[in-house]
Amino acid sequence: MIDFLNLRTLLAALLLGAAAGAWADPPPDYPFVSYDKGLKLAQETGKPIFLYFGRYGCAWCDHTNKQSFSSAELKKIYPEHFVLVYVDAESGKRLRLPSGERITEAELGARFKAFATPLFVYLTPEGKEIFKAPGFKTVQDFKDFDRYVIEGHYKTQTLLEFLARK
Amino acid sequence: MKHCAAILMLLAMPAFAGWEFSPAIEVGAVKDRQVFHHLESANRKGLAESAGRIALAWEDDRNGEPRCWLALREDKARAFSAPLALGKDECYEPVVQGMGKGRFVAAWEENGAVWARPADSEAAIRLSRQEAAHVTLARADARTLYAAWAELAGKYKRIMLARLTLDAGGLKVGYSVALEDALPVDEQAYPALAVSADGSVTVVWEDRRKKHTMMLAAHGADGRKFTAPYPLIDLPQVRTIDLGAGMGSMRPALAACGPACLVAVWLDKRDFLSGYDVFAAFSNDGGRTFGKNHKVQDSFGDNIAQWHAAVAAAQNGRVVAVWDDERDGTADLWLSDWNGSAFADDAAVAGASGPGVQSDPVIQLDAAGTLHLAWLERTEAGGTRLKYASALWKD
Repeated sequence: MIDFLNLRTLLAALLLGAAAGAWADPPPDYPFVSYDKGLKLAQETGKPIFLYFGRYGCAWCDHTNKQSFSSAELKKIYPEHFVLVYVDAESGKRLRLPSGERITEAELGARFKAFATPLFVYLTPEGKEIFKAPGFKTVQDFKDFDRYVIEGHYKTQTLLEFLARK
Repeated sequence: MKHCAAILMLLAMPAFAGWEFSPAIEVGAVKDRQVFHHLESANRKGLAESAGRIALAWEDDRNGEPRCWLALREDKARAFSAPLALGKDECYEPVVQGMGKGRFVAAWEENGAVWARPADSEAAIRLSRQEAAHVTLARADARTLYAAWAELAGKYKRIMLARLTLDAGGLKVGYSVALEDALPVDEQAYPALAVSADGSVTVVWEDRRKKHTMMLAAHGADGRKFTAPYPLIDLPQVRTIDLGAGMGSMRPALAACGPACLVAVWLDKRDFLSGYDVFAAFSNDGGRTFGKNHKVQDSFGDNIAQWHAAVAAAQNGRVVAVWDDERDGTADLWLSDWNGSAFADDAAVAGASGPGVQSDPVIQLDAAGTLHLAWLERTEAGGTRLKYASALWKD
């Protein structure tokens, strides 16, 4: 499943090439919070977590923000369905894990194996990983991922199986 | 006859050369409690040697909150001393520098400031005036060293440098300066510091002024006034579409590899499809310029992310880089030696590879040629152990 997603991302990346210009932060108009705050919020609300690993200057994060997160539909459903967490994968900013351990955001990236940015990780309200999707994703991709998680399909099938049947 | 010739050739070949490690020992063990150790620091400088003594600095939460610790191992002793507390409060990213004659200076972040003290005295001095982090140290001579750190100046942190002296009266600040007079326009962080034989000082750090994280270097001939920062990464900025600002890179490490030789390593995302790679650059003019970039890890590590890169070097030109990656399924420590023109094939560290998770190395080469290495080992319960081993090169 990840390989398929990777391949699509890589092809898009090769077509567009290395890039420079603006920089990436969380997309505007979304209530992104830190990882530790997000874990607490998810426990309180029972919502799954949408974890966005970005990087300062990341072209594909910027592209995703402009092309996909500008969607009015995503702006409505993602904050409704998920606790939104943004992590700068190169930052020395500290956060506290549920175990009590203090680590940096960059170290959280290492532990989630954030080999590329953007990396989108969907987590249960308890913080358990459901799946990861690296690279640029379209509005439709995010809508599919939303259904896969929110409707509980991940409990019975892989993402690829779900996407093939939709 | 052909067979005899082949056998003779094999016998004439030297045995496989490489680092031969001592059995790993645990440092600062905590019984009956899950503890999280950390070896992260600016320049990954948690390990130092001084006249045969070894010092290891780290952070852990054995007291319930992050605190910094230092343990010493006397020359040839089997174990490290019990941990000495650095600072008195919540504490992060400690570093330690050998000063000769068995003395050490440590520095750390505590309550949003950076501090330093001799290992043999509890008298700590505050180095920063404003909010600060990411302190590191480098020795100039037996009584002089430099500290660099990131300190808030306006909206962002910038790199500061102080000249310190160590004598019988303790540790004193001679002066402290900002590397640049102008206020920072974005974050500067994680400085790495080295002193050349001519006394000049080179600093490499993470810098976001170009709206992505890049490696910048500056050279101070007198250790007080620095050149304008220059980039370490030898790729031109390519602008093909109006997206992003540039590639990622982070966590530089710097070491002196001769009178005018410096080597820098960092995590580099120019190949953005497979995570960070370890890259290196050398300076042959004491840090005034750095040459082309070299990829450190071998091809077997190309398709996997590298993390926590560090470098050690000796005045005879020996350079050893270390990092962790999961090419064999779980995180292991890998070493690569500079052979004069390229980094050699990677070698797994005996005692820090195989089943389980071994990561976060810090490294030091002493003047006698002994390699010192410390790392974290993940426990079955999810905490960590702190491990140390030394190695000698066997031809």
